[in-house]
Amino acid sequence: MLDLKQMNRAVIVGHKNIFEDTVDALHKANLFQIEDYNEDDSGLRIGRPFENVDEVSKKLIKIRSIANMLGIKDAAAKKQDKKALLSSLDTTLEELDAELDVKAGQKSNLEAELKELDSLKKELLPFANIPIDLDYYSGYEHLSVFAGAIKEDVESSISKITSSYESFYDAKEGTLVLFVTAEKSGEVADLLAKSGFRESRIPSGSGVPSSLLSTCESKEADLVKKIASIDAEMDSLKDKYADFIMASNEVLSIEAQKSEAPLKIATSDSTFIIDGWVPANDFAELERVVKEATNGRAFVSMQEMTKADEKIVPIEYNNSNVTAPFQEILDLYARPVYKELDPTALLFISFPLFYGMILGDIGYALILLAMAVAIKKIVSSDAVKPLMNILICCQVSTLIFGLLYGEFLGFSLASLHTEHESVSGLIPGFETIELFASPVGDEMITFPVHRTHLVMTLIIATALIGFIHINIGYLLGFINENKKHGMSAAIFEKGSWFVIEIGLLLAILGYAALSSSAIAMVGVVVFVIGVIMLLKGEGIKGPVELPSLLSNSLSYTRIIAVGLSSIYIASTVNLIAFEMIWEPGTPIGATTIFAIIVFLGGHGLNTALSIMAPGLHALRLQYVEFFGKFYEGGGRKYDPFGYIKKYTEE
Amino acid sequence: MATETVALMGNEGLKAIGAGLAVGLTGLASAIAERDIGSAAVGAMAENESLFGKGLILTVIPETIVIFGLVVALLIS
Repeated sequence: MLDLKQMNRAVIVGHKNIFEDTVDALHKANLFQIEDYNEDDSGLRIGRPFENVDEVSKKLIKIRSIANMLGIKDAAAKKQDKKALLSSLDTTLEELDAELDVKAGQKSNLEAELKELDSLKKELLPFANIPIDLDYYSGYEHLSVFAGAIKEDVESSISKITSSYESFYDAKEGTLVLFVTAEKSGEVADLLAKSGFRESRIPSGSGVPSSLLSTCESKEADLVKKIASIDAEMDSLKDKYADFIMASNEVLSIEAQKSEAPLKIATSDSTFIIDGWVPANDFAELERVVKEATNGRAFVSMQEMTKADEKIVPIEYNNSNVTAPFQEILDLYARPVYKELDPTALLFISFPLFYGMILGDIGYALILLAMAVAIKKIVSSDAVKPLMNILICCQVSTLIFGLLYGEFLGFSLASLHTEHESVSGLIPGFETIELFASPVGDEMITFPVHRTHLVMTLIIATALIGFIHINIGYLLGFINENKKHGMSAAIFEKGSWFVIEIGLLLAILGYAALSSSAIAMVGVVVFVIGVIMLLKGEGIKGPVELPSLLSNSLSYTRIIAVGLSSIYIASTVNLIAFEMIWEPGTPIGATTIFAIIVFLGGHGLNTALSIMAPGLHALRLQYVEFFGKFYEGGGRKYDPFGYIKKYTEE
Repeated sequence: MATETVALMGNEGLKAIGAGLAVGLTGLASAIAERDIGSAAVGAMAENESLFGKGLILTVIPETIVIFGLVVALLIS
């Protein structure tokens, strides 16, 4: 349960004329992780890609650029037959490419035209209200033409300079067009410059600007329509060919992987040697597959695993489907190394346990449970599913603790009577049952457990839970150390902690019970022996870690502390909504609606916090307090040579 | 002559102030510590995304300070 998959190092050797068949078979089997070959002085060389690599990669680039142009995304589709696809692939790809080329060319031409029209329109716009044919703006010997933007009409000033002029002013656009005799043009230019005149380019073409403008607009509308129709055609192409493109992308990716495989493999003039890893259980299958594909001409052999191999062996988990989602939590930290226990199964218990203990509210559990189930149904992504499974586990635990705590969205389900106050519960007639007196803090343990009234007891209880959790960590550390460096290292490095704890326990018991100081003395002696063992096992950094025994245990009090903060936020929201703004029983009015808004908003916020805070704190307890005692990590992911087909089948 | 009334603060008030200080000051301490670690962790993650787990752990280590503050506040009140 706590072990990783056993791996074997295997070597496949054969003559080059069965190279492709072997690679083909390995790829299909999807079991064997090829270890990259680095050239050394052994005389072996890195292999050359198979002959079809150029052709395949060209097609692959084409298909991916088409997919990109059409905006095709991964989506579930019916699997296609590989043979039928391959036979039609070349012709369909050519056709599609040609068709798309034409469409893309048309579209870019139209877009260029549209751009031109747009700039012409911008030039025409200032002259739109001046009813002069554009032909008349140029071609005079004795007339100067000024056309441009000006803030105000200057006709009166011009009339003082000369009487032989013709002026058109459009106040709306601020455009002035002025025809004046050539001999006065200098003076007029000076006058205009003083009035802030800016000359505009006169649009090319002939005709009255306003009518030109309306033609422009109709042309533009026409172009937009044409572009839209091309887009629609491309969309229909997308619908028609999406399956084909995804499937051929897959087929070609597989071909490319196979063609490039020799780049990882050692070859001589006439042989190849493939070195790599296979799960021990699958070795027989690998051998069978390779033998079958090559008529027994390739040789598969299992290699002895060396110390150096243990550092590079790829790691594959060996967990049941139920606990497997928690591998994500482990991967987030680091994959285990080969000779290490895989704590996934323990995370499956402790992570939801701590999460539930922190949150412990029926209302939030139901909301988040519904959310997680819905997201799991709707989103098909493989990355989201395990996270939702983790969330579901956590919410089940939250629900159980919610029943134990009797909390619903910050309300208490049961009524509670203490010396000072009497709090009524949400369920009428559900009275808190007193069970027995807590050994600490003068508190009474009840059902349901009112966390707000049992703070002292719960602080001690959570620290104790932490102490147990940490010791499980030391136990795992002991097993790991025994596997890696032998029994004596395990006893000195991890076992010493147990000796120290026993010593402390005896000393405290002897001191507190006041019965026999002899026991206390024995405790002190045991403690010192433990410290010496630790010093031998870990060196000076061992005793430096001693206070962590206390601080790590106390760190688990966050289970109650974070839980209380969540309760207080929830009950504050309830207080604001249903006591300060509107009290149930008083007449229903605008304040009722406002109270409901506050209630929903407040609990929405607290729901979001309910994933973050308990999740992060439960995670931290695993990563820092628990993993610190035994876990090393840093293994490499097992990633076999092969492909999981989504769109095609043989 | 004006008389001055001296109001003595009760035990409850002092406790509340103590609890407030315990949470507030430890919160500040956690924040100051996490500021530096957090920014460094984000920087490291930008280089290598697989450091998320380690970055998260390092960032939340000072969180213990405020948890202890909260526990002390609960013990006081």
